[in-house]
Amino acid sequence: MSFISLMGALEIGLIFALVALGVLISFRILNFPDLTADGSFPLGGAVAATLIAGGYDPWFATALAMVAGAGAGFVTGWLNVRLNILQLLASILVMIALYSINLRIMGAPNVPLIGEPTVFSPFLPGEGDAGYWIQPLVLAVIVIVAKLALDAYFASQSGLAMRATGANPRMARSQGISTDRAVLTGMAISNALIALGGALYVQTQGGSDISMGIGTIVVGLAAVIIGETLIPSRSLWIATLAAVLGAILYRLLIALALTADFIGLQAQDLNLITAVLVGFALVLPTIKAKLRKTLGGRNP
Amino acid sequence: MMRAQGLTKTFNPGTPIENRALRGLDLDIPTGQFVTVIGSNGAGKSTFLNAISGDLAVDQGSIHIDDKDVTRLNAWQRAGLVARVFQDPMAGTCEGLSIEENLSLAWQRGERRGLRRAVTPALREAFRAKLSTLKLGLENRLSDRMGLLSGGQRQAVSLLMASLKPSRILLLDEHTAALDPRTAAFVLELTDQIVADGKLTTLMVTHSMRQALDHGDRTVMLHQGRVVLDVSGEERARLDVPHLLAMFEKTRGETLDDDALLLG
Ligand SMILES: Nc1ncnc2c1ncn2[C@@H]1O[C@H](COP(=O)(O)OP(=O)(O)O)[C@@H](O)[C@H]1O
Ligand SMILES: [Mg+2]
Repeated sequence: MSFISLMGALEIGLIFALVALGVLISFRILNFPDLTADGSFPLGGAVAATLIAGGYDPWFATALAMVAGAGAGFVTGWLNVRLNILQLLASILVMIALYSINLRIMGAPNVPLIGEPTVFSPFLPGEGDAGYWIQPLVLAVIVIVAKLALDAYFASQSGLAMRATGANPRMARSQGISTDRAVLTGMAISNALIALGGALYVQTQGGSDISMGIGTIVVGLAAVIIGETLIPSRSLWIATLAAVLGAILYRLLIALALTADFIGLQAQDLNLITAVLVGFALVLPTIKAKLRKTLGGRNP
Repeated sequence: MMRAQGLTKTFNPGTPIENRALRGLDLDIPTGQFVTVIGSNGAGKSTFLNAISGDLAVDQGSIHIDDKDVTRLNAWQRAGLVARVFQDPMAGTCEGLSIEENLSLAWQRGERRGLRRAVTPALREAFRAKLSTLKLGLENRLSDRMGLLSGGQRQAVSLLMASLKPSRILLLDEHTAALDPRTAAFVLELTDQIVADGKLTTLMVTHSMRQALDHGDRTVMLHQGRVVLDVSGEERARLDVPHLLAMFEKTRGETLDDDALLLG
C-alpha cells in the first residue's frame, strides 16, 4: 500500500472514528439502537458543503452541520420518548425523512467543493503535494479533542446520569434523573458527532453526495465492535479509545484488502468485507475463550 | 408525612385479564413512623409502593407527601422526597457502573446534575466512611463494578444509597426476600439502624409476619388492594404471629364472603 493510500485510509478512519463515538453513545451508553446515522452523516455533509459553496466560513459551516445533526438525533429521541415509537423505527423514520431534507438542502444530488476553502485550508501548504499528512493530522486533533471531551462529560454528574439512564432507567428515575431528557441529550450529542464526521468527510472528498450516507451505521457499529473486541473494558475512557482505534483499524484493513491485488477484491466488495469483518469480530470473544480454555487448562 | 387517599389502579381495564390491583386504598403515615406491610401475593403491595414512588400513575385518588400533592408527578420528579430499595438487588443499582459511581448517583438524588465531576476526591472519602459502617470491606473497593458484588452486598449498598440524601419517605419492597437467611438478617438489622439514625418515615413490605411484628411501629395488612388490618401500639405489642395469621385468615375469609355476596 502506498503512503498516499495509507494516509487516505487513515483520514477516512479518523472521520469514522467520530461516527464510531456517536454510535458508542447511542448503542452502548444509551442502549438506543439508532440508525439515524445514515441520514445524519450526509446531513452534516449537505449542510457543510452547501454553506461552504455559498461562501460561508468552513468552521462556521462545520459547526452548523453539527447543530443540524444534533437536531436530527433530538427528533429521533423525541419520537421515541414522547410518542413511544420503537427506537429502531423512530430512527428509520428520521433517516428516511433526512434523505429528502438533504436533497432540499443541497438543491441537487451533489455539491462539489473543488477549489473551495475547507477547515484544512489554513494548514495546507500552498502548492505541491507535500501535505498528505496534514489532513490526517488535523483530523487526529479533532478526534482526540472529541474523545477527551466525551470522557470528561461522562465523568460529570450529567454524563453519569446519562450512563445510568441507559444501564437501568428505572433506577435512574428513582434517583431523580429525567431519563427522557437524558435520552434526548444523548441522541443529540451522538448525531452531532456523526454529522461532524459527515461535514469533515465532504471537505476531504471534494464535495457532498446524496448517497454518501449509505452504510454509515454499519461502519460505525463495525468500528465499535472491533474496538471493544480488541480492547474489552468496562472503563469508559478505554471504550471511547477502543471505538476510535476500531474505526481506524477498520479502514486500514479495508484499504489493505482492496490494494492487495492477489485477493482480487474491488471497491464494490466493501459491504461484503464489512460483513465478514463484523462477523469475525463478533465471534472473536468466543474463540478467545475457547483458546484460553484449551491453552490455560482452567475454566474462568 | 404520607397520605394516600382512595387509590385505585386497574391493570388492562376492559380486557379479559383486567386486574383491579388497588381498590380504594387509604393510608396515613405520620412523620417518623415505621410501617410494615404484609399481605398475600397479588394483594397490591408492590403496586401501592410504585404508586407512592410515581413509577405508576394511579387511576383515582391522591397521594400527599408532606402536604405536597404529588399525585401527578413522575417518579423522577418525586425522587427528592422518596427513597427506595427494590426487591431485586439488580434493580436498585447499575451493575456496569462502579460502587462510587452508584453512590454518586444517589448522593444527588432529586438534585440538578451539572457538568461538575461526579466523583471527587472529597466525595470518595465521604463514601469510604459511609461504606465502612457496613463492615463488608467495601470501603476498599470503591472503583469495583457493582456487578461484582453479591446480592446481599448490593442490597446493603442500596440501603446506604437510599439514606445518603434525606427523604420524606423510605420505601422498602421485600428488600430481603431475594437473600439467604443470614444475609437477610444482616440487611434487616442495617435497615433498623438506618431508619433509626435518620428518624425516617418508612414503609416496608415483607413476606414474613415475624418481621412485620418485630420491626417498626405499626403493621398494616393489604388484601385485594385495600388496607384490611391496621395495628399499632399496645394492640400490636400483644400480637403474636399465630394471632396475626388467624386475623389474616379471617379477613381473607370475610373479603371472600363479601365478594361472594357481591357476585351473588
Ligand atoms: N404491570 C402490571 N401489569 C398487569 N398486572 C399487574 C402489573 N403489576 C401488577 N399486576 C397485578 O396486580 C396485582 C397486584 O400486584 P402486586 O402489587 O405486585 O402484588 P404484591 O402484593 O404481591 O406485591 C397482581 O394480581 C398482579 O398480577
Ligand atoms: Mg410484590
